[in-house]
Amino acid sequence: MATPVLVVDDSAMSRKLIISALPPQWEVDVRQASNGTEAIEAYRAGKADIIFLDLTMPVMDGFEVLETLRKEDLNTFVIVVSADYQPKSVERALALGAMAFIQKPVNPDKISKVLREFGIL
Amino acid sequence: MTAVQYTDEQTDALQEIINIAMGQAVASLAGILDVRVGLSVPHVHLVQIHELIDTIQEITGASDEITIVSQAFYSHLKGEVLIIFEEHGWKDLAGLMGYEPPPGNIQQEQELLLDVANIVSGACLNGIANQLGTDMSYTPPSVIPDMSRMKNALVSNNASWTHALLVEVNFSLEHINFKSHLLILMTEDTIEILSTTLDDLLESI
Repeated sequence: MATPVLVVDDSAMSRKLIISALPPQWEVDVRQASNGTEAIEAYRAGKADIIFLDLTMPVMDGFEVLETLRKEDLNTFVIVVSADYQPKSVERALALGAMAFIQKPVNPDKISKVLREFGIL
Repeated sequence: MTAVQYTDEQTDALQEIINIAMGQAVASLAGILDVRVGLSVPHVHLVQIHELIDTIQEITGASDEITIVSQAFYSHLKGEVLIIFEEHGWKDLAGLMGYEPPPGNIQQEQELLLDVANIVSGACLNGIANQLGTDMSYTPPSVIPDMSRMKNALVSNNASWTHALLVEVNFSLEHINFKSHLLILMTEDTIEILSTTLDDLLESI
């Protein structure tokens, strides 16, 4: 059965890059959101087992998404994919419940490494 | 001359390139200051030169309490980076950078802001160049004393332009009342060159 995956980024190019970098052998059902509010709505409309989450977004940013997921006790596996890789941003994202952090620009190796590390692949 | 209008896809791609470049720039600054640097979502506007100063004033607010640092870049892409620092909070920043300025020492304030501008602007321009697979050369940053002189500088430098591409991104220091605006102005020729580069990039994905 395909794994439900949600890709959240305000940039359409970035979402496309993330989706094209997913391992071809990984059976997934991918949905997309362009900000945090859409991400929470998409999660509620059909549970996402794995979320690839950008941090710097309009309307609701990635930190706020992580806070909402935690507050509402929503069970999902969040991999942050962000250009904001300052140590304090990475620490904050992980402290808010993100399981892994991938620095942009993304590529297939970075994604596969994280998925293997957590036994998802 | 009518400037090239970017498609939504081109604008999105350029904003993401700037986002990644600014991520590298604020990581450099955060590493030196040991504070988190907040970063806004970048915005791209095509502006007419005669509206440029008004547009910049809209972005920065009407306050005169600002210091403007300018750095020109050239090679494949040409233009100018302006970093506009709001005055308040620079003494806290000075402490983080290891400066101990006496009150009202304008020369040291400018030296500090030039250092910060150099770190942020240099890393941002290198980040853009790397992603586009090109080289970037740039002049040392210099302080433009006030908005009226900026108007003179831009108008005289850009006399042959009718349009410019203006990229706007803001950065701030967490827990310190210090905010800055980074603006990248690109020449009309660069708008056209970049349009082709962005199409090539989008086709390659």
